[in-house]
Amino acid sequence: MISKKLTDPLLTALSVTVFLAALAMVFFYAPREAVMGEVQRIFYFHVASAWVGFFGFFITFLGSALYLIRNERRWDILALASAEVGLTFITLTLLTGMLWAKPAWGVYWTWEPRLTISAVQWLLYLAYIMLRGSVSSPEREARFAAVYGIAAFTTVPLSWFAIRWWRTIHPQVFSAGGMAITPKMLTTLLVSLAAFTVLYGALLRARMQLEQEQDRLAALRREQEWEV
Amino acid sequence: MIEVHNLTKAFGPHTALSGVTLHVAAGEWVTLAGPNGAGKTTLLRLLATLSRPTSGDLRLFGLDPHTQGNAIRQQLGFLSHRTLLYDDLTAAQNLTFYARAYGLPDGPARIAELLEQFQLTARQHTPVATTSRGMQQRLALARALLHRPRLLLLDEPYTGLDPLAADALTQLLTELHASGCTLLLTTHTLESHALGQRAVILRKGRIIHDAPLADRTAFPALYRQRLEQKSAPPHLPPAACDLPPAAHDLPPAACSLPLAIWAIVAKDLAAEWRTREIFSAMFVFAALALLIFSFALDLRGAVARAAAPGVLWSAIAFAGTLGLSRSLAREQKTGGIEGLLLAPLDRVALYFGKALGNLLLMLALEAALLPLTTVLFDVNLLQWTLLPIFFAGTLGYAAVGTLMAAIAVNTRAREVLLPILLLPLVAPLLIAAVRATSGLLEGLAWAEIAAWWQLLVVYDLIIAAVAVLTFGFVVEE
Repeated sequence: MISKKLTDPLLTALSVTVFLAALAMVFFYAPREAVMGEVQRIFYFHVASAWVGFFGFFITFLGSALYLIRNERRWDILALASAEVGLTFITLTLLTGMLWAKPAWGVYWTWEPRLTISAVQWLLYLAYIMLRGSVSSPEREARFAAVYGIAAFTTVPLSWFAIRWWRTIHPQVFSAGGMAITPKMLTTLLVSLAAFTVLYGALLRARMQLEQEQDRLAALRREQEWEV
Repeated sequence: MIEVHNLTKAFGPHTALSGVTLHVAAGEWVTLAGPNGAGKTTLLRLLATLSRPTSGDLRLFGLDPHTQGNAIRQQLGFLSHRTLLYDDLTAAQNLTFYARAYGLPDGPARIAELLEQFQLTARQHTPVATTSRGMQQRLALARALLHRPRLLLLDEPYTGLDPLAADALTQLLTELHASGCTLLLTTHTLESHALGQRAVILRKGRIIHDAPLADRTAFPALYRQRLEQKSAPPHLPPAACDLPPAAHDLPPAACSLPLAIWAIVAKDLAAEWRTREIFSAMFVFAALALLIFSFALDLRGAVARAAAPGVLWSAIAFAGTLGLSRSLAREQKTGGIEGLLLAPLDRVALYFGKALGNLLLMLALEAALLPLTTVLFDVNLLQWTLLPIFFAGTLGYAAVGTLMAAIAVNTRAREVLLPILLLPLVAPLLIAAVRATSGLLEGLAWAEIAAWWQLLVVYDLIIAAVAVLTFGFVVEE
């Protein structure tokens, strides 16, 4: 059993190691894509950050539902932390997507359905953070955010299915006919996914700890309030 | 009647109540005293089932508020700081709404009796907003007593009353007590007429005194003495009450779901019919949006016809945001939403009632906007085939909009926050509605726009399910 004291440095070390490995594989192991060239390498970060972003929103959805069912603060903390980390990664997804779109499609942005839904997701979780800052009562803040976290996540399946429902110019990496990438590319992608997931875990844990410390501080203040 | 054990209520870092234990027997008259911020109102709101405790046990009439809330609310009356009345409705309309919400079988007769008792008959058809503070207070009391509660909770009932009105209130409370009603009231007034048979003093969220009132005239001195003591005594045995149990009529039957929904819709439509403020604001705002889009996008000829569905749905969405915001703000103004929460209504009925009212308002807006857009954009929107799309789109918008408006109205940013919360959520709905409308206008068959109307239906189902499951969490304190 790893002690709590050791978990944080170990998680950070693991995160750095896997990330360095992913970087090395992206630039030295994965082959150069024939049509798009070097710019295609951004795909490993783009897909991995999108995965972590959507996974983060799923965890927010899960934390929100559990908070409403169990009324325990820890689930609210999980939802909040995951939304913040997920929003960061979706921001990264949009930025890397725009950097890729310019040489590939000739524009930084096009109103292609999945891009549009990604932007909507980004705005949704920005609204989630804004909502949390606009409620006076912490208990109400948690409940409102939980309801919003659940409602917001319902658009994720729509985003997922949108690529099939609408005509799109977005490349389909995973399609019914098999994968459109080589085995080396796939291995690199999987390592990138692992690296971003570990990073998500480390950031999530740090953010949750910060929130828990704030709660402890508030409890101490409460004690002092009564003493006075 | 009231059993509270080790009750704690915290609002984030602030603890309003800490380890409160209180037992009140049937037929008692208990006065809850304490300085500002002592937790009196918090305790009363917990007892009124408007709020949930952070920890501890709470039972009323031997029932659990969490699982048997409606059975408790059926037997409980609450007079709040706020009147919990709807300003835009008359005295009679307010009482009619609450009589429906409580499912009173003898509603009209009971309303007439209370209007007479509280000398409100002559002004029963006057909107509450135009009446005096004293009359509003009397009407609020009539509302609290409408369903013949066994337990009456009163939060600072003497505040703002002149001496004659205060005497009349004392007389009423004495009569209610004599008839067997249990009374628990908070007060700042330490005069003897405001005190019952037992006094409880709260300080910083803890009970520091709980004893029968042997000498009412000595209470002010005792009150000051107890407040000056620094710490609370370690244990306070609950004061004994040897009053006989009260005899009461059985509580009336609870309101059924369709009747509860109808009561809320009828109340909203009556308020809107009287003021017409939401519809007119929405219509003018939507017309302005049509105008602005025409200027901004230079819409003329074929371009205007192609853009008409998008412009129309955008105008509906923006105007809808305005209407939803106002609809929920109307509930908040004088605490109407608390009045709804005090009634023995399922939270699902609250949601459906508000959402249905909002849906009807938005459909009325569209009935006015469609001919206007047809004329302005030279496109035939007055087709029966378009109706299902407009209905499905509006249904989804009202469903999610009611939920978001209920959240936004309780935030600091209010109207500003509603579009920020709502518009990203309805983006897929709007895209589908615009595409489906465009497709039908272009003469496409339903099969050719299947993806869009299916998306609308799926969206409506998902969001309605989320709203029904979560609305209760939003409206509770």
